[in-house]
Amino acid sequence: MVVFFQLWQVTFNASGSQVLNGLTLHDTMWYLLMAETLELGRPRLARLISQQVKDGSIAYLLNKPYDFLLYQLASGLGESLPRMGILFIIGGALVWSMAGGPPALQNWPLAMIALVGAWLLHFCVNGLIGLAAFVAEEVAPFEWIYQKLVFILGGMLIPLDFYPVWLQTVAKSLPFAYMMYGPARLFVRSDLQLFVQILAGQVLWLAIIGGLLSLAFARGMRRLAINGG
Amino acid sequence: MVKELKFLTALWKTNLAAAMEYRVAFISQSIGMILNDGVYFLIWIIFFDRFKDIRGWQFTDMFMVFGISAGAYGLSGMLFGNAFNLADIIVNGRLDYYLSLPRPTLLHVLASQASPSGFGDFLYGFISYFASGQFSPDGFGRFILGLILATVVFVSFLVIVQSLTFWLGTGGALTGIAINAMVTFALYPITLFNNTAKLILFIVVPAAFMGAVPAGFVRSFTWSSIGLMIIAAAGFLALALFLFQLGLRRYESGSAIQVEV
Repeated sequence: MVVFFQLWQVTFNASGSQVLNGLTLHDTMWYLLMAETLELGRPRLARLISQQVKDGSIAYLLNKPYDFLLYQLASGLGESLPRMGILFIIGGALVWSMAGGPPALQNWPLAMIALVGAWLLHFCVNGLIGLAAFVAEEVAPFEWIYQKLVFILGGMLIPLDFYPVWLQTVAKSLPFAYMMYGPARLFVRSDLQLFVQILAGQVLWLAIIGGLLSLAFARGMRRLAINGG
Repeated sequence: MVKELKFLTALWKTNLAAAMEYRVAFISQSIGMILNDGVYFLIWIIFFDRFKDIRGWQFTDMFMVFGISAGAYGLSGMLFGNAFNLADIIVNGRLDYYLSLPRPTLLHVLASQASPSGFGDFLYGFISYFASGQFSPDGFGRFILGLILATVVFVSFLVIVQSLTFWLGTGGALTGIAINAMVTFALYPITLFNNTAKLILFIVVPAAFMGAVPAGFVRSFTWSSIGLMIIAAAGFLALALFLFQLGLRRYESGSAIQVEV
C-alpha cells in the first residue's frame, strides 16, 4: 500500500487535479485496499485441488458423506475470512494514516454484498483450474494467467475508471471486473445503479462459471481411476 | 575453482535432463510464464497510456526494468532453484544429505534444483529488452552483465534471509515476503521513492540492484553504476556466505531418513 500511495500521489500531483475520472487519491487508495484484500485473502484452491487430483488424495474426500465442491467452498471460506479480516484491518490502518479515513458507512453494505459475489466467482474459477489437473499435467500456468487477467481486466492495480473507454467496455463484458472492480468501486462510491449492474453481472457469470464447474467435476469423476487403498 | 565449475555444470546438466523428462510440463510452464509476465506488463502500458510520465520515468524505461528483473528472477530459478526453498531445506533437516558430501554445501544445495518456469522468466527478460527498441551491441553486453550481477544480488539476498532460519527455526513466510518485496520494489519506477525509501532499496531490500540500477546501466554506461553493482554483488554475496556458514554451526540434524531425487 505504501508503494501504491507513492505512485498515485505522484500521479495525482503530476496531473494537477484532485479528481481523476471521478476518483480522488483518497478513493483510489481505499479502492486498492479493497482489491488487495480480495486478491491476497482469497484461498489458493486451484493448487490445493490440483494437488489432490494428482496425488490421489481426492479419493479420501470423495468417499465422505458430503459434496466435494461444497466441502472445498467451506474449507476455502474458513481459510479466507480470517486472512481477509487481518489484511483489511492492517492495510486499512496504513491507508487511513496516509490518505485519510475510510469511505462513508452507507457504502459498506453494498460493497459487502458485491464482495460475497466476487469471492464466489473466484472460488468457481479456482475450482475449474484445480480440476483441470484431470487433463493437464500442470495447472500452475493457468493460475498465473488467470491472476494476471484479474490484475488487468479486474482493475486490481489500476481502477478501471482510468482505462481507455474501449478497454473499460471490454473489461465490463468479461467476468473479471465483477471479481474485483465491482466491490472495490462500490466501497468508495456508493451508486445504486452500479450496484444493480454489478450484481446482475455477478449472477450471470456465477451461473455460467458455476455450471461449468459442476460439469467439469462430473466429467472429472468419470475420468478418475482409483487403484487400491 | 575449475573443479567447482565442472561440478556446477554437471548439476545444471542433470537438472536440464530432469526437466526434459517432463517435457510437456516444462514447455507449458515456460510458455505460461512468458504469457504471465507479458500480461502483467500490460498494466504499465495502460498506466503510461493514461499518465505518460512519472517524475521523468517513461514507458521505455519499464521495458528495461522488466527485462532485467524478469531475466534475473528466471536465471536464479534456472541455475539456483533451491534459493527459493532453502528455508524449508534447513527446517526439514535436508541439509544432512549435502553436508555428508565433499562439495561446497551452499553451492551444492542451491544448484541441486532448477525451476522450469524460470526459463520462461529468463526468456521474457530478453523479449522485454529487445522490445524496448534500445538494442545496440554494447548495450546488449551491458544487459547481460547487469543480468548476471542482478542475479548474484537476488540469490545472495534470498540466502541471507533464509539463513535466518538457523536462528529463528522457521523461515517459509519470511522467504515469501522477501521475494515479494524484491520483485514489487524492483518493478516500480525508482523515481517514486523519497531518499529514505531509496536508501532502504539499496541496502535493506536491495531491489534497486535488480531493477533501476542495472536498467540505467544498460541505457548508458557510467563507471559509478557498474562500480555500485559490483560492490553490491560482492557485498551481498560475502554476507550470504558468511551468514550461511555461521548458521551451519547451529544446524542440528533431525536424523530423519531423507531421499534426495
